[in-house]
Amino acid sequence: MTSIPFDPLLLSVAAPLALALAIALGLPKRWVVKLAYVGFAIPALMALLVWWQFGGAPKEVHGYAFFTSYPTGLEHFGIGLKFGLNGIALPLFVLAGVVGLAAGFYAIQSGAERLKTYLLLLLVMQAGLMGMFASVDVFFFYFFHELALIPTFIMVGIWGGRDRSYAAMTMTIYLTLGAMLSLLGLIAIYVKSGANSFDIMVLRDALASRPLLETAQTHIFGLLLFGFGILVSLWPFHSWAPLGYGAAPSSAAMLHAGVLKKFGLYGLVQIALPLLPLGATHWGHGLAAVAAVGNVLVIGFVTMAQRDLKQMVGYSSVMHMGYAFLGIAVGSTMGVGGVVMLMVGHGLSVALLFLLSTSIYHRTHTFDMDVMGGLAAKAPVLAAFFVAATFASIGLPGFANFWGELPIFVALWNFSHVLTVVALTGTVVSAVYGLRAAARVFFGAQTQAFSSVCDSNPILDLSWGEKLPALVLVAALLFVGLWPRSLSTGINQALSAPPAAVASSR
Amino acid sequence: MNPNETALLVLLVPLAAASVITLFLGRRPGAAAALSVAAAAFVAYGALSLAFGSWRGGDSLQWIRFGDFSVSLGIKFDDLAALMLSIVAVVGLCVHVFSLGYMGDDAGKSRYFGGLSIFMFSMIGIVLADNLFMMFIFWELVGFSSYFLINHWRERQSAADASKKAFIVNRVGDFGFILGIILCYWTNHTVNLDELARLHSTSALAYSRLIPLLLFCGAVGKSAQLPLQVWLPDAMEGPTPVSALIHAATMVAAGIYMLCRIEVLMVASSLNVIAWVGTLTALYAALCALTQRDIKKVLAYSTLSQLGYMVAAFGLGSVGAAMFHLTTHAFFKALLFLGSGSVIYGCHHEQDIFKMGGLRSRMPLTFWTFTVAVAAITGVPFLAGFFSKDAILALSYERNGAVFAVLALTAVLTAFYMVRLWKIVFFGAPRSDAVSHAHEGGFSITSPLVLLAVLSVVGGYWRAYPRGFAGVFSLIPEAEGATHAVILATSLAVLAAGAGAALGFYRTDGTDALQARFPSVYGMLTLLRTSFDTAYEYYVAKVQQRFAMVLNFIDIVGLAGVVVRGLAGATEIVGFGLRSLHTGRLNNYVYWFLGGVVILWAYAAGVL
Repeated sequence: MTSIPFDPLLLSVAAPLALALAIALGLPKRWVVKLAYVGFAIPALMALLVWWQFGGAPKEVHGYAFFTSYPTGLEHFGIGLKFGLNGIALPLFVLAGVVGLAAGFYAIQSGAERLKTYLLLLLVMQAGLMGMFASVDVFFFYFFHELALIPTFIMVGIWGGRDRSYAAMTMTIYLTLGAMLSLLGLIAIYVKSGANSFDIMVLRDALASRPLLETAQTHIFGLLLFGFGILVSLWPFHSWAPLGYGAAPSSAAMLHAGVLKKFGLYGLVQIALPLLPLGATHWGHGLAAVAAVGNVLVIGFVTMAQRDLKQMVGYSSVMHMGYAFLGIAVGSTMGVGGVVMLMVGHGLSVALLFLLSTSIYHRTHTFDMDVMGGLAAKAPVLAAFFVAATFASIGLPGFANFWGELPIFVALWNFSHVLTVVALTGTVVSAVYGLRAAARVFFGAQTQAFSSVCDSNPILDLSWGEKLPALVLVAALLFVGLWPRSLSTGINQALSAPPAAVASSR
Repeated sequence: MNPNETALLVLLVPLAAASVITLFLGRRPGAAAALSVAAAAFVAYGALSLAFGSWRGGDSLQWIRFGDFSVSLGIKFDDLAALMLSIVAVVGLCVHVFSLGYMGDDAGKSRYFGGLSIFMFSMIGIVLADNLFMMFIFWELVGFSSYFLINHWRERQSAADASKKAFIVNRVGDFGFILGIILCYWTNHTVNLDELARLHSTSALAYSRLIPLLLFCGAVGKSAQLPLQVWLPDAMEGPTPVSALIHAATMVAAGIYMLCRIEVLMVASSLNVIAWVGTLTALYAALCALTQRDIKKVLAYSTLSQLGYMVAAFGLGSVGAAMFHLTTHAFFKALLFLGSGSVIYGCHHEQDIFKMGGLRSRMPLTFWTFTVAVAAITGVPFLAGFFSKDAILALSYERNGAVFAVLALTAVLTAFYMVRLWKIVFFGAPRSDAVSHAHEGGFSITSPLVLLAVLSVVGGYWRAYPRGFAGVFSLIPEAEGATHAVILATSLAVLAAGAGAALGFYRTDGTDALQARFPSVYGMLTLLRTSFDTAYEYYVAKVQQRFAMVLNFIDIVGLAGVVVRGLAGATEIVGFGLRSLHTGRLNNYVYWFLGGVVILWAYAAGVL
């Protein structure tokens, strides 16, 4: 057993959920605001605790630490509420905790309309996110994803900005479709494996000793690839992302783009790649070509054409997902390790960018970058954070994202020379749009439109309510960026352990 | 403290200083400046004690590992690193001290000194790196520091544009650099410098023409060689001490240092390309310098030209000659920039040389130190530049006659534009109000000038250097017998021709004699100078942006299409009737499609 006397994983799911329930039952507002801090702080603290303990914690089966199991009454179907973290789940669990804290803190401070309902939905979402990455059982992995996804639609629909109903509609259609396809794939694995269990460890052992036929693997992997792909905005199924994020309220965008979207990649890395290796090989080259040309190159240029700041961040996020798909297509430890690092880096940086975009909007009253300019003189701290977030997202060393991109590029070369060149072109393209955005918003002379905004209301620098969440995210980006080993050791262990070897040793 | 720890501290102390400044000293500029200067002083102490000490070695620890792929954070300290580290430390300290005076009243003083410290950290990382991945990491970080410091006066549109341009152009070079590193990784299964050298010595290294050329792309970006030279003149938007440190003495020279680090990978055909790129850059930049009015831009083009010399020297196969010129150039070019900073400071931020004049008597110390630097760069005998330039000329004379001819011509031009600058700035009568009230700066401004002037005088006597650099300086080619005489004669003739012509040709009356008397030559040179920028601007505005807009249009049309189809699909599933599949709708689709094609074509063809 671990040295922690309670189950940190269960607590990180249960605490926000319990609070959400209390709010639904009519907790008075002054209590809601105070307790909401606790609701977001507990998962974050638990995440840091398990990160700290992970290296020394005993890994019972398949490298899963902190393993616990609770009865559900569904054991007959092979469904059990099982929590545990391996080296791949840990970084994402930490990501969910950290981004959740930032998004929750920001939401509490933002004073949104109908704050109680807003916080209730965010807390449910947070519980879902923590549970998603802590689940060892594929059924609950999916269940927690849905738990987090549904509040997103509601939040976009009610608290969203321009075009919110259209955006909510589009998002719902795409994401539901993606989720349905991936569910089909997961059920197919369950059925075909004959293991009568949704437990990922049992499935791994079962499929390691009796692999599926190549055709079955190919078909199921295809289902998962398209299903998860839509959820992660694989080109050309990406249209929901810039639209949805453009309309979503900032905390929802932070949690969705930063954490929830990683569900698809995580599913591919944790479930599809190890269980369906032949399927992965079959789809690999096609996926790599689409990701490099579609996500990286085409969307990279589309990002360059954006005038709307939030749309630009949305498109850039689609572009960076292309790198993640490239790593998955390669499939080696090097490539997939890069994907996991990139998920963390991208999650932190895109959440930060959405947060800061909203902060900018509160000062300029527009997302149109053509009518901004010279904001740095009025808000130097905001400028510093935005520049840091931009450089993180374009892969500057020192930030976490770099450690995702570099291994992916290195691994990709052995897979396809041409696609490596295409993908590397993306590093120049992203520098162009990232620095252009920073320059248009913050540097140079004030535009006339912006000057009139300045005249009508004084522009203040970041408030503490904005600064603290931003600081949390930047600190996490820098910590992982300067000391990647804190995550990569666990990732490497989880990826290097071949399932067959484990199966035979048991 | 063992030497390994000293080296690590030299690397990390500037980072610590930058962190403390960023987090706590934003509103306390005095403390920020003091901390940054103290960090630079520590670096200078640590670097020199390491360089003069007997320790050569290194250590490394794992940074990240995925399967076979691992990157280590390691130090390789040999004579080459010792030399480069000493240059960075000495020039760095001079610039820090100079900045105390120059940036004393600046509103963003804390930010500025924080930036200097982060630059020192990044640059020392390049120098100490024991593998190419690590070098790339710090390579990108100096790019960031450069961006940050060029953009220091961020209300200026020109500074915002210049910083952006510098970073993006460097990224273009780094595109090739990282590709070269990846290729090297897969062909040799290591990017560790010691490992590569070991493979080379046992003839087990896989040589290719492509790897060195791709790695050279990194140097083309960072050291601003043709065709990526465009960012460096614009980078002069940054504060002048930054230009001295980053855009003259150290960061832009990192390209040459990197080439010397990977010398074992070189093959003859790649070296030939490198030599010619350097040679052509040297000539091109010297021609561009002839028509400049801005004191800093003359020096910027001169830097480009001298970097071309170093690259050419490396391409001709001599690490010794390249690093020797890098060393002397660091001293006299930093002195020239700091001198120009002193002039600009004294003249209340006037940068147009034709509005200066008469500064010899008003700023005597600046005048004399500047004169030493001009003498050094033009190759006046017994000063630093004379020896290092002669080493390169001798090398090219023996290896490649055409390169020798171009470099000798470049030397004539160098003497010409430097003497032009010197005469117009310091002689005659003041040609503007601000200049007539010019005065010498304080101690923090003048003391670095004196130190660098001393180094510009003695820097060429490499035999007098401490033994610690022997591993590099023993590689300096020496002309003997007849070659020696030819080179000496050439270099004296070149100096006399260039300097004499400029002295006779230019008047101190506030007009550009070249523009007035040979307008066609002047026009052609201006065209030559602006041609690259014109071409790139055309590409960015007319090709890249249009391409982006077209793709964006397609993306939106695709979005609409997919959404409509998705909606139709969803309604079908729910069973909301089959109306959407009526044939009338199909016509609509076709019309929309045709309309889209027409608009798209019109846009791409530039009609819209």
